[in-house]
Amino acid sequence: MSVTREEVLRIAQLAELDVAEDALPALTEQMSRILEYVAQLAQVPAGDSARPFLAGPDAIRPRPDEVKPWPLAFGPPELAPAFKDGFFVVPRLGAFDGGEAGK
Amino acid sequence: MIGLETHVQLRTASKMFCGCSTAFGAPPNTNVCPVCLGLPGALPAPNEEALKLAVRTALALGCTVHPRSVFARKNYFYPDLPKGYQITQYELPLATDGRLSYLSPDRGVTSATIVRLHLEEDAGKSVHDRFPRATAVDLNRAGVPLIEIVTGADFRSPAEARWYLQTLKQVLEYSGVSDCDMEKGSLRVDANVSVRRSGDSTLGTKTEVKNINSFTNVEKALAVERDRQIAVLAAGGTVAQQTMLYDAKENAVRPQRAKEESHDYRYFPEPDLPPLVLPPAWIPEQQARLPELPAAKRERFVAQYALSVQDAAVLTASRAVAEYYEGAVHAGAEPKPAANWVMGEVLADAKDHQEQLRVPPGTLAQLIALVQGGTLSHQAAKRVFAELAVRGGGEPRTVAEALGVIQVGDTNAIGQWVDEVLRAHPAEVTRYKSGEAKLMAFFVGQLMKASKGKADPKLAARLLEERLRP
Amino acid sequence: MTEAAEAEALTSAKAAADRLTKAKRLNALLTPLKDVRKSLLQQAAGAHPGGVLYGMPVAVKDNICTLEFTTSCGSKILEGYRSPFDATAITKLKAAGALIAGKTNCDEFAMGSSTEHSAYGRTLHPLDKTRVPGGSSGGSAALVAAGVVPAALGSETGGSVRQPASFCGIVGIKPTYARVSRYGLVAFGSSLDQIGVLGRSVHDAGRVLSAISGRDSKDATCEDRDPLRLPTVPESLQGFVIGVPREYFPADLDPGVRRACDRVIKVLRELGAVVREVSLPHTAFAVPCYYVIAPAEASSNLARYDGVRFGPRLGGQGADVRALYRATRGAGFGAEVRRRILVGTYVLSAGYYDAYYRKAQQVRALLAQDFRNVFDRGVDLLFTPTTPTPAFKAGEKLGDPVQMYLSDVFVCTANLTGLPAMSLPIGRVKGLPIGGQLIGKAFLEDEMLEAAYAMERAVPAVDEV
Repeated sequence: MSVTREEVLRIAQLAELDVAEDALPALTEQMSRILEYVAQLAQVPAGDSARPFLAGPDAIRPRPDEVKPWPLAFGPPELAPAFKDGFFVVPRLGAFDGGEAGK
Repeated sequence: MIGLETHVQLRTASKMFCGCSTAFGAPPNTNVCPVCLGLPGALPAPNEEALKLAVRTALALGCTVHPRSVFARKNYFYPDLPKGYQITQYELPLATDGRLSYLSPDRGVTSATIVRLHLEEDAGKSVHDRFPRATAVDLNRAGVPLIEIVTGADFRSPAEARWYLQTLKQVLEYSGVSDCDMEKGSLRVDANVSVRRSGDSTLGTKTEVKNINSFTNVEKALAVERDRQIAVLAAGGTVAQQTMLYDAKENAVRPQRAKEESHDYRYFPEPDLPPLVLPPAWIPEQQARLPELPAAKRERFVAQYALSVQDAAVLTASRAVAEYYEGAVHAGAEPKPAANWVMGEVLADAKDHQEQLRVPPGTLAQLIALVQGGTLSHQAAKRVFAELAVRGGGEPRTVAEALGVIQVGDTNAIGQWVDEVLRAHPAEVTRYKSGEAKLMAFFVGQLMKASKGKADPKLAARLLEERLRP
Repeated sequence: MTEAAEAEALTSAKAAADRLTKAKRLNALLTPLKDVRKSLLQQAAGAHPGGVLYGMPVAVKDNICTLEFTTSCGSKILEGYRSPFDATAITKLKAAGALIAGKTNCDEFAMGSSTEHSAYGRTLHPLDKTRVPGGSSGGSAALVAAGVVPAALGSETGGSVRQPASFCGIVGIKPTYARVSRYGLVAFGSSLDQIGVLGRSVHDAGRVLSAISGRDSKDATCEDRDPLRLPTVPESLQGFVIGVPREYFPADLDPGVRRACDRVIKVLRELGAVVREVSLPHTAFAVPCYYVIAPAEASSNLARYDGVRFGPRLGGQGADVRALYRATRGAGFGAEVRRRILVGTYVLSAGYYDAYYRKAQQVRALLAQDFRNVFDRGVDLLFTPTTPTPAFKAGEKLGDPVQMYLSDVFVCTANLTGLPAMSLPIGRVKGLPIGGQLIGKAFLEDEMLEAAYAMERAVPAVDEV
């Protein structure tokens, strides 16, 4: 299954990744190649089933509700590329109003 | 037709997936760690109390609690979403199929369906007006535990939606799972609104309404959006499926600025977390932790204390007040006077003092007894109450004595004032004796003045009557 | 702490620093030499005496968080990034008295099989500078193979410890998934990732693995188990049943590799093991399955690299935040990482999720069942070649991304099924090392290591086949 140039650009937007014009043809070709390769999974009959695979433990073992943060040797002021008055600073949201969680 | 999505912050000490404090009001970016900062290599560690509170909430709302549920990632980019995804629940949520009974102003007692209830983590806060042309991000709130409660499109009017919300808040508060404070952001609401002509069976297009930040605004925002949709349809147009933001200042809604494409959240099961399998003991445990819920308590108050439904509703509006009222009754106060005092002085005082119930219920009971027994007039008792409130308690009789408001119930003393008053107003005495019975109130008033309010008015009236009998 | 012990540690530290300097040409170490030297001496002065690894210099792959040095994951987007915390595995290494001997080069974000996809240049194969050391843990493998350190930490998502071990002629172990905490391992494919160990011997690698294993409340996917206990070297392999899956011995397998494996099978029988052919029927779908699941999880795990809270900002400022994201991520990620993020985003997106991601999970379950079926029928371990060929030449597989992926064919099944697996050197083909792989049952690393000890003693690892 191939992808088109437009689809690659759309996916790049979803992934917030700039792709230069001149890189696009090669990238489109490579992605098509990869997606065609993995598409062979369709050959496995849908009816073939096995117990779903879970990589780790079967169930969560939660932690007690205590205020005990994991170690942090230094914090946001030292980590951040831009920090002022205790806040991380980013360029203003322009045509971008994407806030979700509980907003 | 309105459906509501409510996000509720759970009352835990630490965050959903890390041990940072959830305390409100800390300086920005101080309640943070590698996990809630979304640093490379960090992993989520689930909070047991958050899980239990979520189970308790689901039970309080009559939901089917699923013994096995799964966390999922909701992927999108936003400056206050540190990992670039939110850990939530998608295909297999914690609970489904609940209901909440509430009093609809239009339809009487009705219930809203709770389609689903699930756990998730909160994002941080973005502040857009602090720096010019920039956004300030504070991650203290990132990772705070939330439950999302989604109703069906059950509400027929903005008022119904508001009443449901108030009932929901009450139930959540009673259950001890959240502060439900819209000002502090521990309860947030988004709505889905659509309209259709009566008789029409096809559902209208839904829009989402966001940025509602108080209970009053819920009703206003929904009314505005409903009217907007009606106007669009009346003009022959179609309602576009979009997200509207409510502007409280203008009391208007406007479309959230057009995004280039709608979100594709690419949900998939969270690989950093095993499934949430509830230990069998949790459900009965959390069920036992549920207190008597508001509706049941209200009904019991009506039956047990012979209160009206309205009075019972006021007294059970919050669990703290209900327990206070019963505390006073158990300390010996009679139910009806206690109800009046609580609905009156106690709640008025609380309103001005951050909802504190400053006078202990036992003390209130004592005060009420003094009034019932004639030692204090009602007016005097109010003064005593005010003093007790300032002191946060005390001995009502002692305070009354200090204020000098102990009612005089001594027949001799009152007898002397009776003489004084009758001597001073001979004309009125004559008029009374010739039939103007309502002058009794005048005499009592004069006597109260003469006694500087200390006389027991009932006794005074009785003695006056005796004296003036022909 | 005794003076003698401290002196010993200091000697070890100095010697390690000297060896690192001599091996500079390999471009295996990302940390500047003077920083490593200085730190090694400081660490030696403060190392935990009495720890089982006391004084042992251990190099660490650059996608594992350390308080010392930087953690760049071989990427520009984390250039100069200093982690404010140690990975749990590092905390445990330090508690065992080991010395962190710098951060090693790797394919960017562990995505690759040759260490050619690092933003900091490729690492050379210690025996042949025109060839790759394998990847993504190529830097760690090269340093161990060159005798610079006795052991190094690497990581696996699709064979990235075993494959370079095979290419470089050393031991490489991937534990059972959930055996070693992932806290502090920069996530690539969360359901596949594990920290693994490269070592010059089974014992060295095993000791380090034992030290870093065990429960960790910071990682919800880490099992609540005691650390791995190393077995003793067995007298024979009497009682072992070793399966040889036919799908791992295709007709076109490199003849040299086949000869090396045949020699091993002969040795295993001489040691008393029963060796029989088995089948893992869904093997052909393992690589495509891996290349759906790993990129999908990676696309989500790498969303946090956006220039907001840490790391450099690589452009797009002054416009809006979206421009910041796109410029930083566009400039910060290399071509292979970008391909995988885009593939991963695609296979999770609406309309494709069922056909790709859900399908791949179904196939993964079938692969796990293949192994269960074989192990349930009395087989204790599986033996296979680790890689289809010895180390290939630099640049040889950069043309077609899928070509590179195919070199993971024998190793990625253990990641997909969570099983423990390891590679040991089993000979030379035209002078180049080749590895043999053991795959064990979940959490039974000790049985696998027993067989490995015996093989190590009996198989001529550096002989031409």
